[in-house]
Amino acid sequence: MEIAKLVRMANQIGRFFAAQRGRDPAAAIADHLNKFWEPRMRAEIATHLAGGGAGLDGPVRDAVGRLREAQLLSVRV
Amino acid sequence: MTTRILVPGDAAARAVGADRVAAALQAGIERRGLAAAIVRTGSRGLFWLEPMVEVETADGRIAYGPVAAADVAGLLDAGLLEGKPHALRLGRPEEIPFLKRQTRVTFARCGIVDPQSLDDYRAHGGYRGLARARELGPAGTVAEVTASGLRGRGGAGFPAGVKWQTAADTPAGTKYIVCNADEGDSGTYADRMLMEGDPFAVIEGMTIAGYAVGAAMGYLYIRSEYPDAILAMERAIATARHAGVLDGFGLEVRVGAGAYVCGEETALLESIEGRRGQVRAKPPLPAHRGLFGRPTVVNNLVTLATVPAILADGAAAYAALGTGRSRGTMPIQLAGNVRHGGLFEAPFGLTLGKLVETVGGGTASGRPVRAVQVGGPLGAYFPPALFDTPFDYEAFAARDGLVGHGGVVVFDDTVDMAHQARFALEFCGIESCGKCTPCRIGAVRGKETVDRILAGENRDANLALIEDLCQTLRDGSLCALGGFTPFPVMSAIRHFPEDFRRRRLPATVA
Amino acid sequence: MPLVPELDYGTPASPSAEAVGLTVDGNRVTVPAGSSIMRAAMTAGIQVPKLCATDSLAAFGSCRLCLVEIAGRPGTPASCTTPVAEGMVVSTQTERLKRLRRGVMELYISDHPLDCLTCAANGDCELQDMAGAVGLREVRYGYKGENHLDAAKDESNPYFTFDPSKCIVCSRCVRACEEVQGTFALTIQGRGFDSAVSAGMAEKFIDSECVSCGACVQACPTATLMEKTVIETGVPEHSVVTTCAYCGVGCNFKAEMRGDELVRMVPSKEGKANHGHSCVKGRFAWGYANHRERILKPLVRERIDQPWREVSWDEAIGRVASEFKRLQEKHGRRSIGGITSSRCTNEETYLVQKLVRAGFGNNNIDTCARVCHSPTGYGLKSTFGASAGTQDFDSVEHADVVIVIGANPTDAHPVFASRLKKRLRQGAKLIVIDPRRIDLVRTPHVEAAFHLALRPGTNAAILNALAHTIVTEGLVNQAFVRERCDLQAFEYWAAFVSESQNSPETVGPLAGVPPEAIRGAARLFATGGNGAIYYGLGVTEHSQGSTAVMAIANLAMATGNIGRPGVGVNPLRGQNNVQGSCDMGSFPHEFSGYRHVSDDGVRSTFEASWGRPLDAEPGLRIGNMFDAALDGSFKGLYVQGEDILQSDPNTHHVAAALAAMECVVVQDLFLNETSTYAHVFLPGSTFLEKDGTFTNAERRINRVRRVMAPRNGMADWEITLAIAHAMGFDMSYGHPSEVMDEIARLTPTFAGVSYELLDRVGSVQWPCNAQAPVGTPVMHADAFLRGKGNFIITEYVPTDEKVGPRFPLLLTTGRILSQYNVGAQTRRTANVIWHDADVLEIHPHDAEQRGVRDGDWIRLDSRTGATTLRARVTERVAPGVVYTTFHHPETQANVVTSDYSDWATNCPEYKVTAVQATPSNGPSDWQRDYGEHARASRRIEKTAAE
Repeated sequence: MEIAKLVRMANQIGRFFAAQRGRDPAAAIADHLNKFWEPRMRAEIATHLAGGGAGLDGPVRDAVGRLREAQLLSVRV
Repeated sequence: MTTRILVPGDAAARAVGADRVAAALQAGIERRGLAAAIVRTGSRGLFWLEPMVEVETADGRIAYGPVAAADVAGLLDAGLLEGKPHALRLGRPEEIPFLKRQTRVTFARCGIVDPQSLDDYRAHGGYRGLARARELGPAGTVAEVTASGLRGRGGAGFPAGVKWQTAADTPAGTKYIVCNADEGDSGTYADRMLMEGDPFAVIEGMTIAGYAVGAAMGYLYIRSEYPDAILAMERAIATARHAGVLDGFGLEVRVGAGAYVCGEETALLESIEGRRGQVRAKPPLPAHRGLFGRPTVVNNLVTLATVPAILADGAAAYAALGTGRSRGTMPIQLAGNVRHGGLFEAPFGLTLGKLVETVGGGTASGRPVRAVQVGGPLGAYFPPALFDTPFDYEAFAARDGLVGHGGVVVFDDTVDMAHQARFALEFCGIESCGKCTPCRIGAVRGKETVDRILAGENRDANLALIEDLCQTLRDGSLCALGGFTPFPVMSAIRHFPEDFRRRRLPATVA
Repeated sequence: MPLVPELDYGTPASPSAEAVGLTVDGNRVTVPAGSSIMRAAMTAGIQVPKLCATDSLAAFGSCRLCLVEIAGRPGTPASCTTPVAEGMVVSTQTERLKRLRRGVMELYISDHPLDCLTCAANGDCELQDMAGAVGLREVRYGYKGENHLDAAKDESNPYFTFDPSKCIVCSRCVRACEEVQGTFALTIQGRGFDSAVSAGMAEKFIDSECVSCGACVQACPTATLMEKTVIETGVPEHSVVTTCAYCGVGCNFKAEMRGDELVRMVPSKEGKANHGHSCVKGRFAWGYANHRERILKPLVRERIDQPWREVSWDEAIGRVASEFKRLQEKHGRRSIGGITSSRCTNEETYLVQKLVRAGFGNNNIDTCARVCHSPTGYGLKSTFGASAGTQDFDSVEHADVVIVIGANPTDAHPVFASRLKKRLRQGAKLIVIDPRRIDLVRTPHVEAAFHLALRPGTNAAILNALAHTIVTEGLVNQAFVRERCDLQAFEYWAAFVSESQNSPETVGPLAGVPPEAIRGAARLFATGGNGAIYYGLGVTEHSQGSTAVMAIANLAMATGNIGRPGVGVNPLRGQNNVQGSCDMGSFPHEFSGYRHVSDDGVRSTFEASWGRPLDAEPGLRIGNMFDAALDGSFKGLYVQGEDILQSDPNTHHVAAALAAMECVVVQDLFLNETSTYAHVFLPGSTFLEKDGTFTNAERRINRVRRVMAPRNGMADWEITLAIAHAMGFDMSYGHPSEVMDEIARLTPTFAGVSYELLDRVGSVQWPCNAQAPVGTPVMHADAFLRGKGNFIITEYVPTDEKVGPRFPLLLTTGRILSQYNVGAQTRRTANVIWHDADVLEIHPHDAEQRGVRDGDWIRLDSRTGATTLRARVTERVAPGVVYTTFHHPETQANVVTSDYSDWATNCPEYKVTAVQATPSNGPSDWQRDYGEHARASRRIEKTAAE
């Protein structure tokens, strides 16, 4: 999938949860991605993070890092 | 000292040259350097004497009339300012029998005061009524009006106090007073005379009504055919507002657009709201849900203009006048083929015959009276045989007639009563709002049926059909327009049957 | 199956709780205070003759047939306008009344054509009935008098005729236009005998303000206003009650038939959403069912550049199954998916998602609600706990202040709009938040107290500014918040909205709205009594769609406007079954009843019931499917009843994605735009041909009943079953009711729903279960479904779609009254006379700058594409904003829309596209190319047999 689009979508999600108070934005973002993103989308964004994650905002990087797909990648690496 | 000369500014007087008389007087005074001033008043209501000029002298007012502009020089020469003799001199107006016989309560000031002078109004007892109302409080005021026995002078004769009480008892943040001055009955002019001759009485009456029922806004609905009255009321309202006597009561004039049916209270409300003048079904009564859906008192102008006097002098004084359940006075308007046409205010109870023959002096043509229509175009035609009917709501109703707004139109023996019956149906057809079926279609079918009778077609069957139709109109119509049209039609058939059976030339049918 | 009878009580029901007892013709009857005598009589089974009275309209009292006598009262009052009183003794049939009624009827008939036998209303005419009822035997006036028998007919409306020669001037049409529809297009002109019904200022109906809602036709007691179909076909003889398949209002109709021919659709008085009202679409625009372009046989082809080949159902279904199986074998389980439609029934939708989840073995199932109201589901679930509107439509009758934001009800939800306008005429206040001056801003006897004409894309900012005013001016309903909401969340939110970046003074200039107007609107909403918010796609179809929905929910909670009639958050759903398709588990991440696929407990219930292991991971959403298709990992798609090519944004992108798939299966009525990229076409059936249920915007589950047999020979649900069977997954149902039984079994909020219940009570609003056996009109009455109401911070984030020198205008899109969605249905009806092409609304200032005049061709360019359409120069849009509709494939408005989308749900940002508009002399290259492609792609090869 077009990675720029996934990055933009992830950052949109990140922006929303970063504004919330009283909860960990990265956890909320990761939860949202797990609930609404199909596995291949999560895998692609995780791969993108593994490759440097260009364009991903701070808390989003954090969140993507917590995805099972990212952890599987790091295990593989 | 400047002498006041009083020349009526009333539209009826103006119609017979009062303006020209006033101008001639003004010119004469100036030319002669006289210390005199002309005041335009309302009319006394003695129309066969208009223009009737009065002058204030040491002996009180002296009247002259009917005065033409050409008479002015002679009058001044004769010593008009001192009330000196002249062929047109009528003497003290109060002594003229037509006036002397009257009991003027509602019209007490009309023709006497300068209608646009608030001071004059006050000097003649104005605003005593409102002051007393404030002493009595709203509930006391309503009680006073109820106790006076005052009934609606528009025609229905509904007790004004009961109507006020209903509106007062209906809870609402906004209520309205509506004064019905859509005076459309043939031969009537009482509303117009009051607006032109004593507008502050109307204003005070509406203010009292507003105070009594808790309404802060009043609308005065005047027919467009009364331009002078509209102007007079608008000027008086502005004066009252500037003088602060309205005391927060909002008052606006609304002008009709030529529909007779807008004199019907619910059609009038529709018209004020900006819609077609179409009758509303009742209930709801306007006192419950009227103008803009708010509790509204709709009273005839004469009713409201009588209220200040009732409050000022007490309900008992008013209730002491009259007969039966018709209390107080009625401004009767004599018109048509009558020698002494004019406004005659008297306690209820006078017989129709006395009114026509004695007060009115019989017909203007000098021929015998054949019929009198009382209560406007939808009133019954009474033959001389019914002249013993006293002027009284119930007495008229008992003889299938109505008092209405007090219009009395006299006809001599040249009248064709079948044509009058046809006219009533034609009038109903022209003025019908078109809402209810009996009136919308019935009036036209009625006229066509009378035409067939006039043409001699199946007379008996068609007369029976007219009778049936009248029953449908009377019991089936939504408002009094259709409901009352049978009065003139059936009274003509009943009292003058010969006119419906006469052989006619075809030409007269059209 | 006779005509479904509807009693006419003559006057509306009285809302009073007080009971009044009276006697009518010796029968004791008790009715609510304020009822008319006529209604009381009818309650006692006594039909007082009447013509001008009908229970959808306030009593009028003009026909004078319903006169009665009341003991102790003078005269013969009209029973329609006279209210009952305790102890009243009424006689409806006396000699006097009989004579009177005959007298009135004699007058009526003296001005009426004597052509009953050849009249279109013969047998369905109240005048005829009443002439009989009153025993009229002769008309003594004759027929030579003045009359209206030569009055000219007006046949200008495509659906009904107006024949004034048959008019009895009862004003029912005029009153219906005013009271029911609120358009005020009709009037009585003239007086007395000349009184006549007139459209506008003596115009033809088609030239007047008439919106063809049919209320006048419905109200007419004679043949004066008559459906042309009745004139052509004859009076219907049997009927079936069903539910309209257009917008989300969910009107009930009686489909009235002669034999198996549909004669007319008549709005049902029993319909709880419409109460007997209708709009031009539901009432009249059903002719597409018989349109010559209907496809009735399955079609297949190998490649999209080939012509279609008509095949048997077996061959078509076999092809679908073999292709899907092949693709899954080659590209993996998740390489195929399905899309359900909000136009289909709950049962059909449920089966498609079941096919995908259990038959395909993945969760690649999405629905068109993705592109309209998915943010509503997400936003309201997060704040209230339920993905649905909180009220019933009746609630609007109790509202005192109404906010309409991002919705245009008079065009898109006309029957609701009429009910709203009625409430506004009664004095409720209106706040419109919309970039366009929609009709509601100023329409007869209705004027918005505030119109906040914001720049497209600033909803969240404006909503925050309203909240800022309410919080900082101390207008919060503290008691409600304390008792019903999560206090910590409220504190966070209150602190956030109080920040200066959310003040009207900051937001106003960026949104293009005067700060004082924002403050005024906020004060009015917070202090004006019952406050209700109605919104549409102008809220959801943004990159911050979900944020704006939450901001709306926050506003409702902060002002205590939740949990009772007259208040609430009310999403106006665009299509008939948006709510239902979402409820049925059409979203890739959740099962029916909004339960996430990752929930092991829920999933295992479905696994047990369906007998298949189910995927615990969310599937692809529509937009993701396209991306994955272009990626090469998504190869096959089953689309039921949805035209994704025309309706989804960025048409180039969608077309490319479809072209990249190996098996696209379209099930539809017509060869729609998507089908031009399809390999298998399965002919579907119209709502008239099916049994099922639709769930409208108020969560109301309405029955759809089969009026005629499916013209294609197979019901839509059976097609899905056949595909499943061919793929080796057996679903076995004998009737859609059995599908509903399964839904009820597996979905707690639907537990009490059954066809038996629906047939018995008409319709129910979910939740419908043991706690609420006949449904739930108002949700969150005592507590929010999620427990405490959850305030969520709704920071305004401007969209990435920005205007600049190349694209200086903002395009926003919407719909129009006469057309529906992609127009597949309405374009195939006479509705095209009102809107035969999409046009571009442009402000005179912008038009002048570009040298564009009204009616000129105008080319619209965006970052994604270009299209050409005619200009309509109007001040309805603000300078800098242009607007169009997406009803016509010739325009393909979505060629220019972007693929930006809502952050939470991927709902496309249809409502904001930066564009340039320039004068043009004809269609764009894309339009020409696409037109060629579409024509070629729709060829059908004749079979040898024919």
